[in-house]
Amino acid sequence: MKCAGFATVPLLLAGCKGPLSTLSPAGPIAQDIAWLWWALLAGAALLALLVFVLVALSFGRPREVPEKRWTFGLGVWFSLAVLTLTLAAALWVGERILPHGPALEVHAHARQWSWTFSHPGAQGPNEAEGVLHIPAGQPVDVLITSSDVIHSFWVPQLGGKMDAIPGRQNRLRIEATRPGTYEGLCAEFCGLEHASMRFEVIAHDPADWPPASLPVSPPLSPPALMEAPRP
Amino acid sequence: MRRVGGMGWLGWLIAGPTVWAAAFSVAYGLHGLGCELGWPALSLGPVSLQRVAIALPSLAAILVCLVLLARVKTALGPEAGIPRLGLWIGLIATLYTMAPVLVATSCRV
Amino acid sequence: MIPNDVAAIPPNPPRRALHLHRELDIVWRNGPGLWGQITSVSHTTLGLRFMGTAFVFFGIGGLLAMLIRAQLATPQSAFLDTALYNQIFTMHGSIMMFLFAIPMLEGLAMYLLPKMLGTRDLAFPRLSALGYWCYLLGGSILILALLAGVAPGDGWFMYTPLSGKTYSPGINADVWLLGVTFVEISALAAAIELMVSILRLRAPGMKLTQMPLFAWYILGTAAMMLAGFPPLILGSVLLEMERAFGWPFFDPERGGDPLLWQHLFWLFGHPEVYIIFLPAAGVLSTVIPVLSRTTIVGYGAIVAAILGMVFLSFGLWVHHMFTVGIPHLALAFFSAASMLVAVPTAVQIFAWIGTMWRGRPELKLPMLYVLGFFFTFVMGGLTGVMLAVVPFNWQAHDTAFVTAHLHYVLIGGFVFPMLAGVTWWMPLMSGRRRIRGLGESAFWLILIGFHGTFFLMHLTGLMGMPRRIPTYADNPEWMLLNLSSSFFGFVMTIGFALFTIDLILQAGFGKRSVRDPWHAPSLDWAMALPPPNYNFASLPGVELQKAGAADAMLKLARGEGFLPGAPRGRREILVTSVGSARPEHVALLPFNTALPLVVAFAICAFVLLMLGGFYAVAPVALIPVAGLIWAWARRAVAAVDAAPVEIAPGLLLPVHPANGATLTQSGLVSLLFANGTFFASLLFGLAFLTLVSPGPPVPAWQADGTVLLAAIAVLALLAAGTLGGRWALARVEAGQPAGAALIGSVVANLAALVALAALALGVLPDPTRHAGDAVRAALVAYVGLHIAVAVLFSAFALDQARRGELNPAHAGSLRNWGLWQRYTLAAAALATAALWAQELTA
Ligand code: HEM
Ligand SMILES: [Cu+2]
Ligand SMILES: [Cu+2]
Repeated sequence: MKCAGFATVPLLLAGCKGPLSTLSPAGPIAQDIAWLWWALLAGAALLALLVFVLVALSFGRPREVPEKRWTFGLGVWFSLAVLTLTLAAALWVGERILPHGPALEVHAHARQWSWTFSHPGAQGPNEAEGVLHIPAGQPVDVLITSSDVIHSFWVPQLGGKMDAIPGRQNRLRIEATRPGTYEGLCAEFCGLEHASMRFEVIAHDPADWPPASLPVSPPLSPPALMEAPRP
Repeated sequence: MRRVGGMGWLGWLIAGPTVWAAAFSVAYGLHGLGCELGWPALSLGPVSLQRVAIALPSLAAILVCLVLLARVKTALGPEAGIPRLGLWIGLIATLYTMAPVLVATSCRV
Repeated sequence: MIPNDVAAIPPNPPRRALHLHRELDIVWRNGPGLWGQITSVSHTTLGLRFMGTAFVFFGIGGLLAMLIRAQLATPQSAFLDTALYNQIFTMHGSIMMFLFAIPMLEGLAMYLLPKMLGTRDLAFPRLSALGYWCYLLGGSILILALLAGVAPGDGWFMYTPLSGKTYSPGINADVWLLGVTFVEISALAAAIELMVSILRLRAPGMKLTQMPLFAWYILGTAAMMLAGFPPLILGSVLLEMERAFGWPFFDPERGGDPLLWQHLFWLFGHPEVYIIFLPAAGVLSTVIPVLSRTTIVGYGAIVAAILGMVFLSFGLWVHHMFTVGIPHLALAFFSAASMLVAVPTAVQIFAWIGTMWRGRPELKLPMLYVLGFFFTFVMGGLTGVMLAVVPFNWQAHDTAFVTAHLHYVLIGGFVFPMLAGVTWWMPLMSGRRRIRGLGESAFWLILIGFHGTFFLMHLTGLMGMPRRIPTYADNPEWMLLNLSSSFFGFVMTIGFALFTIDLILQAGFGKRSVRDPWHAPSLDWAMALPPPNYNFASLPGVELQKAGAADAMLKLARGEGFLPGAPRGRREILVTSVGSARPEHVALLPFNTALPLVVAFAICAFVLLMLGGFYAVAPVALIPVAGLIWAWARRAVAAVDAAPVEIAPGLLLPVHPANGATLTQSGLVSLLFANGTFFASLLFGLAFLTLVSPGPPVPAWQADGTVLLAAIAVLALLAAGTLGGRWALARVEAGQPAGAALIGSVVANLAALVALAALALGVLPDPTRHAGDAVRAALVAYVGLHIAVAVLFSAFALDQARRGELNPAHAGSLRNWGLWQRYTLAAAALATAALWAQELTA
């Protein structure tokens, strides 16, 4: 809607797309959240309008004000109703995007200032620097770890973000509807080269999975990936 | 003379939200403990031990609020107004923040 | 003797106002010149100085913001290198939060509260001054570090392990931890002082439920500060210990947990936002009704809303941690609480709008800022609710969307109301009128500049731009958005510059303002402009409190209220009861002194030694601090010894309470409350590290019989010290000498300290081995520090007994020491139990 508002400014409209835009989702999870955002925006716009109009109307003649209607009617009950609706939507979408049910598991390991990914291949796990390979059209669970400071795994077009915390392992579900290349980045400030901690996610046609063209690397050595991960 | 409006009144004022704060902390603590100890897997009839354990302190808190609501008028007389609102805050806040216990996934999956 | 109904007390006969003024002025005014400024303890002087200094820091923070915006204007700017950029945004955030917002609200509250409550100063004037000096010195350390290029660069929330020694080896992070903690002394001092002043210094007959809403807001703020700052201070202390001595509280490889830092930080950090918002809302609740020529809608509902905010805002902190991997149900608790806190906010917003409907709002300059508040803050609040929605948060967290949100809330919810407040009270503070026109232009520039900068930044964030990055070469789609944000950022800066010029012109060249220019109902305007240090020549009773400023002014100046003038040449104020404000006794406030500055320098020496890494000598610097505090307390003693005072015809009040609490005692209770939250946070840390954090399990202490014996000895000796104190009090009240009992207490406390030291040095496992060992040592250190203070406290009482200062009417420091002693005993017992429990799980 905000983008629609700027429809007259073609550049901005085009801007809503973009390789890192949450507003051009490329999978069901990011899509759910994008819908949620548009709904939140619509509601927020209406509420803001309501308040602005009420403020503007106050510049008229003095009026009788039933105090309880303002403080309790509008203040408590109206806002509580709106918030309850929001909370219900939040919980519902929140449950939908959780990693329920089986999914392909891949690993993302962060360090200052790069990512190592691995996915199961035909002969054991495949490791790659800065590129995560996943199959399109099916849910993928990313197991996220870090060996130094806190980082955060984020592919805006495929789902939300999840922190990489030393000593822990976190799980994030993502999904790409179609094969393609999607951009990702480290979202948590992690020091000098934080801005350059970018990576790519390549979603392959499910028919080509696991991708044969990739070099096969030796199986994950535990010290190289997670130190002491405990769910 | 009744010390209406003294420290006692302040105590009544913060009673409701304090009860909420206690219930909230206990529920949060029990949630973490339950996940460590595997309570979600133990079922008590239709629900898991985990949900029951988290919900119980909140129910207790709601009860406390109700009891205090019934007594606030006699305790404070004409000064009961704002403390009564405080008790309602405690009651509604407990109900509201505990509502997700009924639906949300409890532990890491 | 004291009538229950204050309204029934007869008024004092009128006298010549000028005569009274001269009498009071000699007693209350600051000394001449610079030395007079240094030694001032007046709430008016210090409140103004707090606000002025905060404004300077706002300028510095704003300058840094401009550097950030200049860097971000283009995708690949080489304007700042990355290390410097990191320091700049960290310092921008830290300055704005710790050196601008908090001190600004402290200053405003300090300046206004005694005036609104109808009294002459705050409860602990020397503490106001100490707070100011700590603020100034701590803030200067941070700014000097920035100039020297060693400013902290880990972001204003200093996440570990990034801020740990391994990844931030320089002193940059120490500057943040020590500097900010030093500054927070002022926050705690202000909180204690405001709390006690509101509860005990209100004009006679001003019931809690009738006091100005602003006072309710500050009461809520003070309570939140007492509960909110201790977790931050604890976190900073622990992290500094990790950095300095290798105690691994947050190091995952040795059983520590980076998430503990996040919990402690946000346990402070979220309430902090409400600590900032509440006083601003207090300003709005004061200004809106008067400018609408009516009274506030829903006084009771607003008080309840404040109450709700104070509590609920402590249940939201995890919404800053939605992406750290906490299970959905726990997130949902905090998501629900975050939604819920919007309800009291909505209550207030609708009460204010209802007030405007009921009255006839006038578009004076402060009202423009009120409208700016509505326009901005409502949007910020709504994006806040969006961010409380977990799935959306997973996308928006750590992006420019959050930067936009937080500025909508902070500038909308704090800066705009403060600007309204400054323009509102400027005639009071400067005694002068505004020059027309300039202020309005400044308002429009600020408003347009603000929304130009931050509105589209929401979109920038949704398009994927993370916060805290200096370049974005691969993302041309963010370029125009950023360029326009930067452009409007400079428009906003011009607005603020104009606002500053307007203030300077008003203060320097404005025409003299008439008294009570806004026709306000509250007492803050019932005085001369600018106000004299004593505020009121006599203190208002119920009738004058309700008369409106204009009518109360003359009668108060002529001494028709209570306690007129300063005939005894002392700084006298009235202490009243908590609830209905019945006059209880007269308190004597201290005269001007440089002691607070000296104490602040002594603390500063400690901080600097720690910063320099001179850990062995740093504790030595605490000895002068203790000595100075002793001297501080001695001076307070010297003031108390006098005949009862007639505050109204026939109404004599004692100068010291015959029974009931002194101001000092109320202050100590507040301090112990804050101390208690600190201790509770430490216990939380222990439980968290023992039960929740992953990594190697806590190694057992393998404590044997000696440990148990030592613990029992410490507790028994403390109990003996406590009993000795009780016995001494009983003897003093019976008029008998108490020296022997006191000597017994001192010896018992000293022995407890020795036993604890033996335990710590002898059998405590190496605290650097594991985080579990580190918290154990931290608990022992906490108890040790408290016992050391108890030793000094009991020695002080003994000294008083030796000087013959204890008598049945005046138990000296015995009651206050008793409070501290019992707190220490309880803390020691709880610590023992906690360590026992830790041992069982290990
Ligand atoms: C004078 C106008 C202001 C401008 C133009 C401005 C601009 C900015 C910018 C560009 C950032 C950096 C975002 C990033 O790293 O991507 C920032 C961060 C921040 N600002 Fe402001 N700001 C202003 C005023 C304020 C005020 C008044 C406050 C608080 C009262 C504030 C609090 C913060 C905080 C807490 C951060 C986060 C710092 C961090 O990430 O560590 N700002 N601001
Ligand atoms: Cu990173
Ligand atoms: Cu928050």
